[in-house]
Amino acid sequence: MRNIIVCTKIVPKAEDMNFDPETKTMKRSGVENQINEADKNAIELSLKIKEKNGGRVVLLSMGPPFFEQYLKIGIAMGADDAILLSDRLFAGADTFATSATLAAAIRKIGDYDLVLCGEETSDGGTGQVPSQLAELLDLPQMLFVSEVDVDGNNLKAKRTIKGGYEIVESGMPAILSIELGINQPRFPDFKRKRWADKEFSLTIWSASSLEIKPELTGTSGSYTIVKRLTEYFTHQRQRISVEGTAEQQANKIMEILREYG
Amino acid sequence: MNRKEIWVYLERNPEEIEDVSLEILGRAKELGKKSDMSVVGVMLGKEPGNLGDIALKHGADKVIFLKDSLLESYSTEDYTKALFEIINKRMPEIFLLGATYQGRDLAGRLSARLRTGLTANVVSLDIDTDGYLLSGVPGYGSKVLAEIICVRNKPQMSTVRPGIFSKKLIPIKAGIVEVLDLDLQGSVSRVRVVSRKVEKHPDLSRAEKVIIAGNGVEGNLDMVAKMADIFGARLGVSRPIADKGKASRELQVGSTGYSLNAKLVLIFGVSGAEHFLPGIANCQTVISINMDRESDIFEYSDYCVVADASKIIPILLREGGDR
Repeated sequence: MRNIIVCTKIVPKAEDMNFDPETKTMKRSGVENQINEADKNAIELSLKIKEKNGGRVVLLSMGPPFFEQYLKIGIAMGADDAILLSDRLFAGADTFATSATLAAAIRKIGDYDLVLCGEETSDGGTGQVPSQLAELLDLPQMLFVSEVDVDGNNLKAKRTIKGGYEIVESGMPAILSIELGINQPRFPDFKRKRWADKEFSLTIWSASSLEIKPELTGTSGSYTIVKRLTEYFTHQRQRISVEGTAEQQANKIMEILREYG
Repeated sequence: MNRKEIWVYLERNPEEIEDVSLEILGRAKELGKKSDMSVVGVMLGKEPGNLGDIALKHGADKVIFLKDSLLESYSTEDYTKALFEIINKRMPEIFLLGATYQGRDLAGRLSARLRTGLTANVVSLDIDTDGYLLSGVPGYGSKVLAEIICVRNKPQMSTVRPGIFSKKLIPIKAGIVEVLDLDLQGSVSRVRVVSRKVEKHPDLSRAEKVIIAGNGVEGNLDMVAKMADIFGARLGVSRPIADKGKASRELQVGSTGYSLNAKLVLIFGVSGAEHFLPGIANCQTVISINMDRESDIFEYSDYCVVADASKIIPILLREGGDR
């Protein structure tokens, strides 16, 4: 088995994010970050594939230098290497420019059999990168995958479709998007974390280290722009407390149920 | 000069057109009126049957059917190839797809091949004053709505969430179904489908009443299901229940499952994780039952019931049975 590349995004915890109606931007100060949850499931899956079939697990991320500390958590989980694409030019990328930049990096890493991504990120939530990446790298794609079986050069996967699932197969290399929650990501190994913090050196690639025209990255490489952000008003909740004994509480629920027929 | 066109992908399942495609047609018709564009439904398959006529009744001015025996069932690469060619020839202004598993699989690949912009999981669609498609996407646990435009290329593409718009029967003058025989020379697909298991589930996003079971009532799933039955509601579950295989993904509510549009939703034992909340954001009335007074779910509920669900459920079953 050759390299298994796992695209890993560091995302803010959504419960910490708040909209500022004055400036029409998201308030990010004091926000905690984490490895995107579905990407953690992808990392866990890549480690399982490696344990069975060999190969190296390489984490690939794009973002500012502070992502390093989170990628080291992935290293401590068992990944062999991590590469961070970091350059001011990459800022403001939509999913297409992101995919184009990741594709250039994946070509540079080379010698790979699998590219895994989480099905979507918790911040952007588009799930578009896996299929755009597959197109730009001219690879077969399987999205919303929950199980994988590698046998020689043959890849078998279970993917979710409307109303059920399909078992699909293809050769490798291939790109898979991994469903959120399909496994229990292992905890970072304590000793390995200490080693990662002290001795592991993250590879950082800027735009000039990739074979991609700078104008195809970041804002200038994007096809879509956010025209404006507004507060999203859904229903304002009343938050009425229903107190009393279980019997009284259930009666209140019955009353509302009857109102709705 | 020909009018500009809004294209809508008509997803087959396989004997019917998916509701979301018909919902988008209805909205596209309104946008077409506003901006003087015509609405074209695009379908791929072996034979059009009567599906073209159904699309014409729901807002399409015209249907294009891409016909080839290879297109009978969906494959990413064959469908992308067929659509890429026709879109490049006719260059519609806008191309909309349902944000279903298939629609999302196809839209990403196709937009990258077309080198155009794609917006995901849209909950609102409009045309702005400059004539661009304005696609609204909720972000960060549905706290903001980002309105996104595709400025650099055509078609402007978006995938639209099911259940956001309602399908409408629209009286038509005389729409046509244009059948294009593609004569594809063999499949280009590198992914083979070995087997498929699909069950027909009622679509949760359209249910009027939903009862949701979360981790807190994992041991009482049967009772919650029975209660849903008695009260004429649909059963939904939170992600952990589906993850453990205790219920189908088709019952999962939240950002990676269904977004509900119910009038009433009853939620048992759900903590209110961020991926769950978008699933109930569009419901009219939310009642939550949870042991933990501090649970986040109560922030997003109209009626907050701090109680042991295993005590409440039997009473509701008894009361419901008496009716």
